[in-house]
Amino acid sequence: MIKRNLLGAFLVVTCLVSVSQLAFAHAVLVSSTPKIHGILHGPTIDVDLQFNSRVDGTRSSLSLVTPGGAVQPLTLEKQTAPNELGAHTKLNPGKYTLRWTALATDGHITRGEVPFTVD
Amino acid sequence: MIWLIQDFDLLSVLLRALALSFEAVAVGGVLVLLVVAPARLAEAAARNGVCRFVARFSLALAIVQLLTAAESALTLMGGDGSGTPGLGLREVLSASFFRADFILAVAALALYFLLRRGPGQLWAVCLTGVAIVASSTALSHAASRMDGRPLLLLLTASHHLGAAAWIGGMASLLVAIRASKDARKIHAMAQRFSTMAMVSVAVLVAAGIGMAKLYVGSWSGMYGTSYGVVILAKTYLLLLALTLGASNFWLVRETRSEAVPVLRRLRRFSEIEIGLGFTALLAAASLTSQPPAIDVGQQDILSAHEIAQRMSWKWPRLQTPRHADLPPTAPLKEHLEDSSFSGGAPNDAMNQRWSEYNHQWSGLIVLAAGLLALVSRFKGQGWARNWPLLFLGLAIFIVLRADPDAWPLGPRPFWGSFAEAEVLEHRLFAALITCFAIFEWAVETGRLKDGKAVLVFPALCAVGGALLLTHSHGTGDLRDELYAELSHTPIALLGATAGWGRWLELRWPQSDAHPERRSTIVRMASWIWPVCLMLVGLILLDYRES
Repeated sequence: MIKRNLLGAFLVVTCLVSVSQLAFAHAVLVSSTPKIHGILHGPTIDVDLQFNSRVDGTRSSLSLVTPGGAVQPLTLEKQTAPNELGAHTKLNPGKYTLRWTALATDGHITRGEVPFTVD
Repeated sequence: MIWLIQDFDLLSVLLRALALSFEAVAVGGVLVLLVVAPARLAEAAARNGVCRFVARFSLALAIVQLLTAAESALTLMGGDGSGTPGLGLREVLSASFFRADFILAVAALALYFLLRRGPGQLWAVCLTGVAIVASSTALSHAASRMDGRPLLLLLTASHHLGAAAWIGGMASLLVAIRASKDARKIHAMAQRFSTMAMVSVAVLVAAGIGMAKLYVGSWSGMYGTSYGVVILAKTYLLLLALTLGASNFWLVRETRSEAVPVLRRLRRFSEIEIGLGFTALLAAASLTSQPPAIDVGQQDILSAHEIAQRMSWKWPRLQTPRHADLPPTAPLKEHLEDSSFSGGAPNDAMNQRWSEYNHQWSGLIVLAAGLLALVSRFKGQGWARNWPLLFLGLAIFIVLRADPDAWPLGPRPFWGSFAEAEVLEHRLFAALITCFAIFEWAVETGRLKDGKAVLVFPALCAVGGALLLTHSHGTGDLRDELYAELSHTPIALLGATAGWGRWLELRWPQSDAHPERRSTIVRMASWIWPVCLMLVGLILLDYRES
């Protein structure tokens, strides 16, 4: 019995070894404002992300990495479509990175980022 | 949270793979109790055996599903790892996916308690089965699609049911056969299962084709995206399993005349058929973590010409850049933050050459191992039976070279670098390669003859191959990742074929009274698996990233 259990544990560990880290590749960002490496005129910036699938509008999150490297959370607006996340913010000129974490309706968590510049 | 985020992502795919496998056994077992071994036609011992068997897997499903819910909750409550605050417990508990996770776990737990009491209360057992399939479907891609959701939910549920009835059901059938004594009843059960399996394969395939049409949408998406390539891999596994299924079909026709020896052979073929089926289920788990091909932009789909060019044979360079020539190593925390959102920095030329060198040397080792395994099949070549020891060299090579930014070559510390999922994978791979090399060497040289232990190598080969289908290189470029997968998918399929081939060879009854009737399939299997290892070696030797 001990041998059998050891064999089972061994196989389970193998599963752990072999499974990938691709859990962040489930949802796809179909379009975004700002665009990836896009240039926007400040200071008021409208953020709008569209995904290929339904995302949870209250449990997903958006944040900005500022030119100084600080992370600034953004408040999500009420969804206008089930596959959309949006926010408003005011930014000074500089290079920013918008980071998003989307929780799909089926429970998959997806992450990504959109680098952009405010002139 | 940033230190756990990648390992948690890894864990979520593993849990999904386990949940799909346990779901198939649990639901398949319920269908066997209903259709294959009903109370009036099967022995009580057979039905009780199936109940105990399915109850264990139901409990396992409940545990896995609770772990899945806990893992998702912790991920959401921990924030995104870059400073954004996480959700509160109440917000997580009210999420729709969490409710589906919870319903699935409760249904599986209810099935466990019902079946522990025996095969009575079938209506309640069926209800829990329906709840399991429905909640599992709610956790699939179909639930989050924007278009055609009702049809996709229906197709997904049918696909799950078909897989459960065929693959999961067969596992329960084997339990029922082992617990039965009456050869006529065994024959009748096998025949009823045969009919159920044919119907379920038809449902599985029809639903699969429908889903492929809606999720892939084009031929170029089928061969030019990761999603499509995994579907092709599943199709190959299905065809292989169907070949064995056909062998089983003919064996079932013989069970009336010589039940015991034929049933032993039936069991061995069925083990492989189940194994291939579960391999396909593990591949299905990887599909749940990939964007459907239809959503991938045209610019990220590889053309047939591009694929043919990359896969054409070129002699390996076997030259490595110096470690000092690689780009400077970023601090670990910064790297984890970046790679968790961007998927990792694109490989530069030096990184690509480093990786190609690693793959090509690994290929040489695997090719040599396969060649020696093949030579050892011939009389008087016993020395070649030491071929598994070559894998020890591969394990050392992986530890030394796979992660140049981490210990022992790079500045990132040994323990801290476990936070990188890829490093964790490589190190565990090295440990497991060491284990299975030692096990298989002991088996090949006659030092180990224990019935279960001899199966370690084929099981790891098959499971490892299956899960390699889900392996990603996180290069940060979708096309580069696809190129990498185009070489890893054939390796995964060859690994699974080699593993199950070796399994069949080892499990075939040695005391068969009629050795001249040793199945052609078994004879072929004993030659196929070393050839598969050699082919894996050749593919690795041809590995290129540019």
